[in-house]
Amino acid sequence: MTRTVVHATGLTKRYGSFTAVDAVNFSLEENRIYGLLGRNGAGKTTIMQMLTGQLFPDAGELDVFGREPAEHADVLRRMCFIAESQRYPEDFTPAHVFKAAPWFFENWDAAFAEQLVADFRLPLKRRIKKLSRGQLSAVGVIVGLASRAPLTFFDEPYLGLDAVARHIFYDRLLEDYAEHPRTIVLSTHLIDEVANLLEHVILIDQGRILFDRDADELRGSATTVAGPRAAVESFVADRPVIGREGLGGLASATIDGRLDQADRIRAAEAGLELAPVSLQQLIIHLTGTDLRADSTEQEVAA
Amino acid sequence: MTAVIEQSIPRTEARSRAHEIWRIVRLHAVNPSIFFGVPWLILGSAWAIMMIIGLIITGAGGPVDDMAKGMRYSWAVLSPQWYLVVVGVQAIGLTFSFALGFGTTRRDFWIGTSMMFGLVSLLNAVAIATLVQIEKATNGWGVGIAMFDSLWYGQQGWLVDFYTTLALQLLVLFVGASVTTVYMRWRMRGMMIVMFSAIALLLVFVAYQTFSGGWMALFEWFGSIGVVGGFTIVLGFAVAFAVGGYLVIRRATPR
Amino acid sequence: MDDSRPIFIQIAEQVENDIIDGSLPEGGQIPSTNEFAAFLRVNPATALKGVTRLVDDGIVEKRRGIGMFVTIGARERLVERRRAGFATEYLRPLIIEAEKLGIGIDELAGMLRAERIES
Repeated sequence: MTRTVVHATGLTKRYGSFTAVDAVNFSLEENRIYGLLGRNGAGKTTIMQMLTGQLFPDAGELDVFGREPAEHADVLRRMCFIAESQRYPEDFTPAHVFKAAPWFFENWDAAFAEQLVADFRLPLKRRIKKLSRGQLSAVGVIVGLASRAPLTFFDEPYLGLDAVARHIFYDRLLEDYAEHPRTIVLSTHLIDEVANLLEHVILIDQGRILFDRDADELRGSATTVAGPRAAVESFVADRPVIGREGLGGLASATIDGRLDQADRIRAAEAGLELAPVSLQQLIIHLTGTDLRADSTEQEVAA
Repeated sequence: MTAVIEQSIPRTEARSRAHEIWRIVRLHAVNPSIFFGVPWLILGSAWAIMMIIGLIITGAGGPVDDMAKGMRYSWAVLSPQWYLVVVGVQAIGLTFSFALGFGTTRRDFWIGTSMMFGLVSLLNAVAIATLVQIEKATNGWGVGIAMFDSLWYGQQGWLVDFYTTLALQLLVLFVGASVTTVYMRWRMRGMMIVMFSAIALLLVFVAYQTFSGGWMALFEWFGSIGVVGGFTIVLGFAVAFAVGGYLVIRRATPR
Repeated sequence: MDDSRPIFIQIAEQVENDIIDGSLPEGGQIPSTNEFAAFLRVNPATALKGVTRLVDDGIVEKRRGIGMFVTIGARERLVERRRAGFATEYLRPLIIEAEKLGIGIDELAGMLRAERIES
């Protein structure tokens, strides 16, 4: 039986007339890895800041470990959130951060932190201000991993990390998660690389949740059909189309919905090519501007 | 996904633990150059400059008594105070955001920060009051200068010097910190409103004093309460800023 | 791990393939879910789903405290199942493509035979 660690109902955050998070409902269950996905400015960081008591919601209800997070030490001590734009005290170095960390995280594993510092080749004595973007990300990743907080947030964890460092992050995360299960939220707009790490995906756009589904359900939940325009149109006629492209007599359409064996054979018979849609492509279709442009086009055509 | 949250999560831990306040003091001190290194480097440099000036004047056969009298009006002893206002600002502008990321409550952060301010003020007050006495005992570090034994210092004994430094130090740190809490809560708009309100209030006070002819009475009153009385007012302001900062930071949000 | 089907199905199929080609013998131990997760860089819950699918199919069995083992007779069952699906999964697409190119059934049979000799 899994326990719900976060439960949000109608959660809202406004800045003047701008609504950053617009009445969202979701829950996070214990010991799962979540992907909080969406474009820059979609509201990902704002949601995480509310969950960690850094921002006060304007409306809605928020339960984290059974109560409102803000100003509740017993809730806050179970969380770790190093924001992508985290500010550090004046003249701080990574060494200062890791020295202070065990005072704040009761599960802090200093040996693990040390190993990660070596893995990421992080200069401990350099001032935070002078670190490269990737080194700054490494500081946040190391704190997030070594703190072993029951609810850990990673906010755009691999900005500036090279391919080797990113794979170190994935490997260490999976290893450590297997040994010390906990609830992890990965917030990112770089999706394909982490897609397989996620158990559950919450996609937000313009402050609203577009979908909240198991990653396995999403995989193959959309397919791109390509071929002669007329054949494509007749194939997708009664299916939900989330994206269209065309070039001369050729067209491709992305449909939201799984195809069964009979559909595949029918498509092959009609001379259509089927291609799986990756999570990243699916999200581009769902949050990109081409979706709206296409639907108006469709309306005009109909 | 379960729609109902379980209410039975055990909550046996205390709402706040003493070490969660103390760790804020440690966080401020983890890089000791901020609160200790730089202020004493500034004070040390000021002292070195005063020593060199003193050595030049005495070396050139200048009048030592006049020099000491002149130096009484130098503000060298107060040189680290400007920097400490900035330290107060950074404690909230930077360290606060960081501590929230590390899972601190605003309440614990302000109490811990106040403890740090108190500790630093206490140490500085002991050190300065003692340095005044040493300077007097060594006849101006052997060259007759008056850096610590200046302004109101060195007149009424160690305890008064200690008390006045403590009050001033607390005010300086809490002014920087509490004004920054206004920014952290209401951003630029709040800063503007507070600043203009403060200026308006000051102007109203000046106008009132001028039209009612109350300036003389005010100066007389200040004269009558003396140095200790004056710094008790300073301490009062420090406490007011500390309490105000606590109230404002409870709803502040990090940058 | 990047075709359109859920990863846990792909993991299960990979184990099935290893059983069919004999690299995982009947009675042999299969890797743990955490080993699968780390090796394939996928979520451990996903790996667990794949293994659970194999358990439900009776292809592997859990021995408490030791690990997961290939059941006796698993290979035979898998081969049988794959044979049943062979026509729809492989032959239908082949015939459709052949018809598109104007390749008759006899010609196709000839091509298959020739291909087999070559390989």
